[in-house]
Amino acid sequence: MCINWYTVFFIETYKTVYKMCENNENIPKGVFSLVRFRQTERTPSAKFKKERFIFMKKEKEKQGIPRLLELAGEKNSAMSGSILLSTTGTLLQLTPFIAVYYIMAELLQNAANKTPLDAPYMIHMAVYGLVGLLAGYLFTYAGGMMSHTFAYKVICKLRLKVAEHIGKLPMGYLNGTSVGKIKQIMDADIEQMEGFLAHQLPDFVSTLVMLAALFIMMFSLNGWMALACLLTIVIGFACQLIVMLKIMKSGGVKANFDALENISNSSLQYVKGMPSIKIFGQTVKSFRKFYQDIMDYRDFTIKMTEQIRPGFVRFRVLIQSIATFILPVGLLLLLKKPDDVAYATTFIFFLVLGPGAATPTLKLRTFSESMNVITEGVTRVNEILNERVMEEPEISQIPDFYDIDFKNVDFSYQKDKGILNKVSFQAKQGEITALVGPSGAGKSTIAELIPRFWDVTNGSISIGGINIKNMSSKDLMEQMSFVFQESFLFSDTIYNNIALGKPGATKTEVESAAKAAQCHNFIMALPNGYDTKIGDGGAYLSGGEEQRVSIARAILKDAPILILDEASAYADAENEHEMQRALAKLIQNKTVIMIAHRLATICNANQILVIDHGMVSECGTHDTLIKRKGIYSHMWEASMGASAWTMDSEKEV
Amino acid sequence: MKKLLNAITCNEPKLLIKPTIWNVLANLSYLLPFLCLTYTVGNIYQYFTSGIWNPTSLWIAWGIMIGCFILTYILENEACKVTYRDGFGTSAKGRVKLAEHIRKLPLGFLMGKDSGEIGNTMMNDFSRTETAMTHIMPQLISGLLIAIIASVGLIMDDWRMGLAMFAGLPVSLLVMFAMSGLERKLDGQLSSAKVQYGGKLQEYLYGMRIIKSYNMQGEDFGKLEHACEEYRDASIRIEGSVGPLNLVSTALLRSGLPLMTIVGVYLVIGGTLELPEFALFLLVGSRVFDPLAVAIMNYSELIMCQTSGERIVNLLNEKEMPGEKAPRQDHEIKFEHVNFGYGAEQILHDVTASMKMGSMTALVGPSGSGKSTMLRLIARFYDPTEGKVLFGGIAESEMEPEKLMRKISMVFQDVYLFQDTIANNIRYGKENATQKEIEEAARMANCYDFIVKQPQGFDTMIGEGGSTLSGGEKQRISIARAMLKDAPVVLLDEATASLDPENEAQIQQAISRLITGRTVIVIAHRLKTIIGADNILVLEQGRIIESGTHKELLSRRGLYAKLWNLQTTTEGWKIN
Repeated sequence: MCINWYTVFFIETYKTVYKMCENNENIPKGVFSLVRFRQTERTPSAKFKKERFIFMKKEKEKQGIPRLLELAGEKNSAMSGSILLSTTGTLLQLTPFIAVYYIMAELLQNAANKTPLDAPYMIHMAVYGLVGLLAGYLFTYAGGMMSHTFAYKVICKLRLKVAEHIGKLPMGYLNGTSVGKIKQIMDADIEQMEGFLAHQLPDFVSTLVMLAALFIMMFSLNGWMALACLLTIVIGFACQLIVMLKIMKSGGVKANFDALENISNSSLQYVKGMPSIKIFGQTVKSFRKFYQDIMDYRDFTIKMTEQIRPGFVRFRVLIQSIATFILPVGLLLLLKKPDDVAYATTFIFFLVLGPGAATPTLKLRTFSESMNVITEGVTRVNEILNERVMEEPEISQIPDFYDIDFKNVDFSYQKDKGILNKVSFQAKQGEITALVGPSGAGKSTIAELIPRFWDVTNGSISIGGINIKNMSSKDLMEQMSFVFQESFLFSDTIYNNIALGKPGATKTEVESAAKAAQCHNFIMALPNGYDTKIGDGGAYLSGGEEQRVSIARAILKDAPILILDEASAYADAENEHEMQRALAKLIQNKTVIMIAHRLATICNANQILVIDHGMVSECGTHDTLIKRKGIYSHMWEASMGASAWTMDSEKEV
Repeated sequence: MKKLLNAITCNEPKLLIKPTIWNVLANLSYLLPFLCLTYTVGNIYQYFTSGIWNPTSLWIAWGIMIGCFILTYILENEACKVTYRDGFGTSAKGRVKLAEHIRKLPLGFLMGKDSGEIGNTMMNDFSRTETAMTHIMPQLISGLLIAIIASVGLIMDDWRMGLAMFAGLPVSLLVMFAMSGLERKLDGQLSSAKVQYGGKLQEYLYGMRIIKSYNMQGEDFGKLEHACEEYRDASIRIEGSVGPLNLVSTALLRSGLPLMTIVGVYLVIGGTLELPEFALFLLVGSRVFDPLAVAIMNYSELIMCQTSGERIVNLLNEKEMPGEKAPRQDHEIKFEHVNFGYGAEQILHDVTASMKMGSMTALVGPSGSGKSTMLRLIARFYDPTEGKVLFGGIAESEMEPEKLMRKISMVFQDVYLFQDTIANNIRYGKENATQKEIEEAARMANCYDFIVKQPQGFDTMIGEGGSTLSGGEKQRISIARAMLKDAPVVLLDEATASLDPENEAQIQQAISRLITGRTVIVIAHRLKTIIGADNILVLEQGRIIESGTHKELLSRRGLYAKLWNLQTTTEGWKIN
């Protein structure tokens, strides 16, 4: 009768692609990276090959599942146990069929020999079948529970391991793009491994064992009929394989990814850019060939289906008609000696069990696909774990004064692209050092090197004469506070958000820090005052307020070094005024490094460094720099002009 | 059920008919060989019981099987063709329909949503309904049909055996339904654990700088660890409690075969069942549960697809912006007692104002006072809850949105450029603009110089895989676009982010050129920039509390004067 195998290839191809896309929050990127991934896989560049080779030689690093287990530090035994259980379960589930066979044989025997039916025997058989079936499900359940427990443990450990590792990486590693990627890995990618370990893997093994058992049984009973059965399956698979190969050869898979990438890219842009689309009167048909992309994708998938269809249908029909091919072989053999009861029994056995061989065969194919997905996931996890962690000194040195010295500092994120070039300066304790320059010049990088978000490529940075590499990160952090442009608050109470600046701070200390940072008033106006939760289910603060909370935190910490990134956005005037008052409190008597966006703010700084193209191009006080008539004075003039500008719709420009 | 069908076909359940018919036919064609098979087995039994041997009829039976094999091939082929062609066609049509629909929704609706989510619906939800439509649904229907035909046939043949075989079915179905209820309940627990974990992970990743700079790694990692373990335990719990029920359900179903065997043995001994008959039941019984099992499996998949379909249908059910009047030549903008709020929270209260043709109106006020909302109402991102926004004397809510849009240019803070060439990005302003016009617009917007410095000049791709532009450069391109569009009304949201002085001067010049001779409504963050405005509206908490020219407002000594003074102090602020 009909068995529906719709887990078969060509749906799977699309499904796999969709699944992969689903797991990428950002669709185009997802497809993009996927395509890239596939491409590198197929045509690895010489460099890539070489690197890989060296890598393998060095450690022979494990891949795929073994690596996964190694990472999670879980023993194989739990997995083997669960596989053993589910295999036993699968085999036991065959018992009713075998019971049926024995009963049919008994019936046949009885008909041939005219002996009375052995009723107790048949009843026993039927009961065995029932018991076997139930026991089979019991085993399957036990195996399933074991594998799930195991798998969830594995992924939990894996997640924590990755998280722990990330905590040890240079902080600069975490930025917009990498965070998105890490989240994707920590969520969907690792989650997928669970399904694989808990379902696919035990399924695969038990199916394989069951098939093997079935065929051993078949061949031991009758070679010819077993062969007919096996051949049908093999031919079915061959039909599919031929089509598959053709498509691979014609580049169909890549074309599929391309078409998919186009359409998902366009659709995301269409949605994201909706304001512009509306303003400029675009429609689905006129926007960036979006309509064409949709239609192309449809045509492409239909064309692809057309190509795959013959192989797929042949396969499906063949596999479902195994009995049709066993029958003539059996009949021929039977006709030779029609009175052989034993033979007739075997024949019936094949007719009962032969078609059953088809269902499990199909499971095998899907396995290889999920295997790919898992290997990819493991590779991604590996990529993170292979990031070098920050080196910690064995003995941490603590400075007793807080001048900051940059000596010939070079820095680059990637090997070829230098960001900083021979940067040297000294920021004195108790003074303000301002960094100015065009965006992208390297100001933020300089500020980020001091807390060791990154390590310098060449040269050195020292605090109070001690190289920052010789301080433990804990001690280094203790010496400085930051106020970043984007302030980050935890979803906790406001009180706790400020209090984390100083473990064990008293309530009075927290409140006076809040007062100094000009937040006390707005905090008191919140429904639960200092105990108001921030974020979901609590209060939302404005950007300016969040920033002042983080200043309060820094005030409470009272570290000798302060690194400030001046807010580049104009908050409203009131907010800005408050913030300036807060900042003025914060910087008293500290070594201050300040990235400035508005030159007016820093014209009283003790030292102004003009950063241009990764180098310190000018250095001095406001007055000396103005006199030099260099970049700074040019910027100053431009900024004066910009702030004097007024809008006018009547005057021609 | 109807809801489900609507959901998976994007409101066109009719489309399911053809694929279903073909699939049913194809599946029925599998039944015939099976009958031949049972005939053969019966024949063999016959031979051993009565000695009548009819090999010819067996060969004929096989001949029929071969015939069926060919028939099945043809039917399957056709079913496959129809199913997929229709499925892909439908989802393509659906995507176009949804895309057009989205375009006609109030922009405000889209802004309240995650664009990734809608993009996801456009791609993945359609793919999923496509799967539901093309293979799950037809399979489910034909699987059920086959199971029903087989069971009815067997029960008619011998009701005792038939009943024994399907004794477990009702209980099994009951357990299944009970299970899906339980699953939903437990799922709630699981997803809250998942959300917890996601939240902690997010905090850990985004807050890493703070975590490290305040030396709280251990503590925070502990929180993440805890959440991760909770998530693990919740997952194991759900697996542990739903898993057994799932298996009970299958076991009940499958135990039909051994049960029937036991009944059969008693009946044969009792003499009320013929041997070949029993053999037939055994043969059929060993296969009859497969299509049912598949149908059950398909059902649960279908439920998953349903949520996808529902998301699509929900989007399609969002109301489009009404209105078909065309705007007139006149374009004075008037707010008449406008009330507006996003959801329950009211933003604008009884706003009445007029912005004369050719004049410049500035909106000022603290953040959250409703400036941006006013601008959005003019551009008809939303319609007011009460009152009217008039454009040239016609209520915007009665105007055709597309025609209204032709009259308005906007330059906003967050510039969105498309992944396309620079020239094409500018060309959005005017569909059939010549290269010369584009270059002219670029010159006017002060972007010509940096564009020609790009690797491929105007043909440089923007965005991924192409050149990345700085914020200031993007802004100037968006000004060039607006320049090309040449609409009589310009809405401006002054950038709050400070750029380097050079960039800023360039943008200021470009804006000056853009607004010359037009009706301008501008949100100003720095009051200095708008001292020349014809009218300044001062907003506070959604109300216009003052209006007038700069001079008039200063002499009133109200909020504007206060803001002005504050800003003069902050501008001159120096760090010491």
